[in-house]
Amino acid sequence: MTRPMRFLVRVGAMASKEVMHIRRDPRTLYMALAMPVVMLLIFGFGVSFDMDRIPLVVLDGDRSVASRALVRAVSAGHEFVIAADSDEATALRMIRRGQALAALAIPADYQRDLAAGRDGEVQLIVDGADGVVANQILAKIDGLVRAESLRRIDLAAEPPLQVKVFTLFNPEARSALFMVPGLAVYLLAIAAVLLTALTVSGEWERGSMEQLFASPVGRLEIVLGKLLPYLGLGMLQLLLVVAVGAVIFDVPIRGSVALLFFVGFLFLAGMLGQGLFISVVARSQLVATQAGALSSLLPSLLLSGMLVPIENMPRILQALSSVIPARYFVHAMRGIMLKGSGLSILWTDLVALTIFALAILALATTRFRRKLA
Amino acid sequence: MSELSIEAVHLSRRFGSFLAVDDVSFSAARGEIFGYLGANGAGKSTTIRMLCGLLAPTAGEARVAGFDVKTAPESVKASIGYMSQKFSLYLDLPVRDNLDFFGGAYGLSGPDFAARADEVLRLCDLEHERDAITGSLPGGIRQRLALGCAILHRPAVLFLDEPTAGVDPVSRRHFWRLIRRLAREGTTIFVTTHYLDEAEYCGRIGLMVDGRLVALDTPAALKRRYVPGRVLSVRGRNLASAAASLRSRPGIIAVEPFGAGLHLQVAAENWNADSVAQALASAGAQAVEVESGEPTLEDVFLAVVARPREVRHD
Ligand SMILES: Nc1ncnc2c1ncn2[C@@H]1O[C@H](COP(=O)(O)OP(=O)(O)OP(=O)(O)O)[C@@H](O)[C@H]1O
Ligand SMILES: [Mg+2]
Repeated sequence: MTRPMRFLVRVGAMASKEVMHIRRDPRTLYMALAMPVVMLLIFGFGVSFDMDRIPLVVLDGDRSVASRALVRAVSAGHEFVIAADSDEATALRMIRRGQALAALAIPADYQRDLAAGRDGEVQLIVDGADGVVANQILAKIDGLVRAESLRRIDLAAEPPLQVKVFTLFNPEARSALFMVPGLAVYLLAIAAVLLTALTVSGEWERGSMEQLFASPVGRLEIVLGKLLPYLGLGMLQLLLVVAVGAVIFDVPIRGSVALLFFVGFLFLAGMLGQGLFISVVARSQLVATQAGALSSLLPSLLLSGMLVPIENMPRILQALSSVIPARYFVHAMRGIMLKGSGLSILWTDLVALTIFALAILALATTRFRRKLA
Repeated sequence: MSELSIEAVHLSRRFGSFLAVDDVSFSAARGEIFGYLGANGAGKSTTIRMLCGLLAPTAGEARVAGFDVKTAPESVKASIGYMSQKFSLYLDLPVRDNLDFFGGAYGLSGPDFAARADEVLRLCDLEHERDAITGSLPGGIRQRLALGCAILHRPAVLFLDEPTAGVDPVSRRHFWRLIRRLAREGTTIFVTTHYLDEAEYCGRIGLMVDGRLVALDTPAALKRRYVPGRVLSVRGRNLASAAASLRSRPGIIAVEPFGAGLHLQVAAENWNADSVAQALASAGAQAVEVESGEPTLEDVFLAVVARPREVRHD
């Protein structure tokens, strides 16, 4: 048999053994395939940052044409539903009980003010228990009320003056659009780092690494045989996350699908290399799990720009994030999915991901000595 | 090709300031079963690891199957089979998958390999376990599978590190039948063990004490050399004090506690079972029974370990 042929046989033996392990341990498959989908659904539905159908109590002290028009304007969209039209005491009670999140009080002279050319003043009472929610309600009501009063003032004028807020690329400010690309990064990072860290450190713990070292299997063959199955699994995971995003959350892919998967491939290669490096250094499954989880979870969650925009981070964290591959992947994913960006914009991300992947894989392979001491 | 399958010359291995293997030299011929004996921590596994190219020697040289372990470790690895001390097959996989994997690791594939895997299953008497999950099998069968995985590629030299540790006596005998058969077919076998009865199967035995190879010969020659004269095993009461008085008498070579009794080594011209019994009884021992027996490797081991050694300072 020729040398390249034997190389392929050995890599194939390592890889197919890994596949056999995966098939026999459903936990791996669960971790790689089910967990991301479950988390995506939880984040997509449960931890949605969009407010929808917020229960609102109306205290209409004016009961005029203008005040009724305002109430209609507020409840016309899907943001607010009128929970009651009542007095102040009822409103406060409902807010306290959580039956309403806000109350809109329209003063008795609302219509008169508007007619006199002044801004109609309304009062908003908000449940401030959740600051994020309260801020969103304030912003939304503020916009609606402002728009409505302007519409009234300029009712006669041609054309009616309107204030319009554009949100670029994500006009409805839907968090799913923003979250799916971000979550994909987070889930891929965790699964890829953890799975490889576990499988390689498992060989050390079992003692089978010593058995492998006593055979002619080379370290490149071990590394490739270990990484290829998880690379495949990771690509499947990416496909699943993108598909769930598209089907359930209507997340578009405006750019090239091929580019999306190519970027995913580069990112995965880096994450697998990171897992390999950890397990080469740690050699124990316990340490590898903890180091793997920490080193993939924290950076991809906090430094990637997935939750906190990188521009809003302190200087030092911004600098730190520039060596985190998740940052480039988040940027590229959002670019491809939401903006339809192509290579001309994303090439820097691709270069950064490639450099990281090559560097960490080379480092892991060299640190991976086929000697016991 | 040289008829020497293993040649170790002044082989040493140091871990920090600790000398685990200290200037060990020996050789083993093709088809020989070479036994390596020693207490825990004597340096047996360390020697094997150096010979398998897993651990670099700090000093000295070794050739295995004609290849230098330092300069051609890859050629060494392709020509040897290794069963490490820790059982290290994949317990979650079936027997056959373990064989398939190790075959692939040695670059074997295709119909020739499939036939060889079947042959090994037959040889190791594993045909009925072929689809069983390895983790569900008893220790004795697992060890035979580990042996099977190590011989798939027909290695010239087989290194077995305590292959029968913790295995029941019947399985041990079974295992040794396999070993002897492989040796007859020309495989050189280097085996470490704690079981001195097993060591009787070896062509030659090396005895390791604290990293040094202190004795090396055939079992019979070792017995002649270290347990000359007669070996008597003694049972009775109040033996300890009586034995102490016996120690200084001429012709008494060694007195070793052995279980509840004693093992005596005596010069054949001065002593026999009856005279020893009389001497012990008159020194205060009661209910003395003396049996004369063949010296065992256990006696050899005790004699070697009891010999004063030069004190080393590291
Ligand atoms: N990698 C290592 N680093 C440091 N010390 C080691 C290492 N490997 C072995 N040793 C030490 O070297 C000595 C010899 O170990 P070795 O494993 O060769 O003994 P052994 O004869 O195989 O014993 P056992 O019967 O317990 O298997 C022991 O004291 C051990 O602690
Ligand atoms: Mg050992």
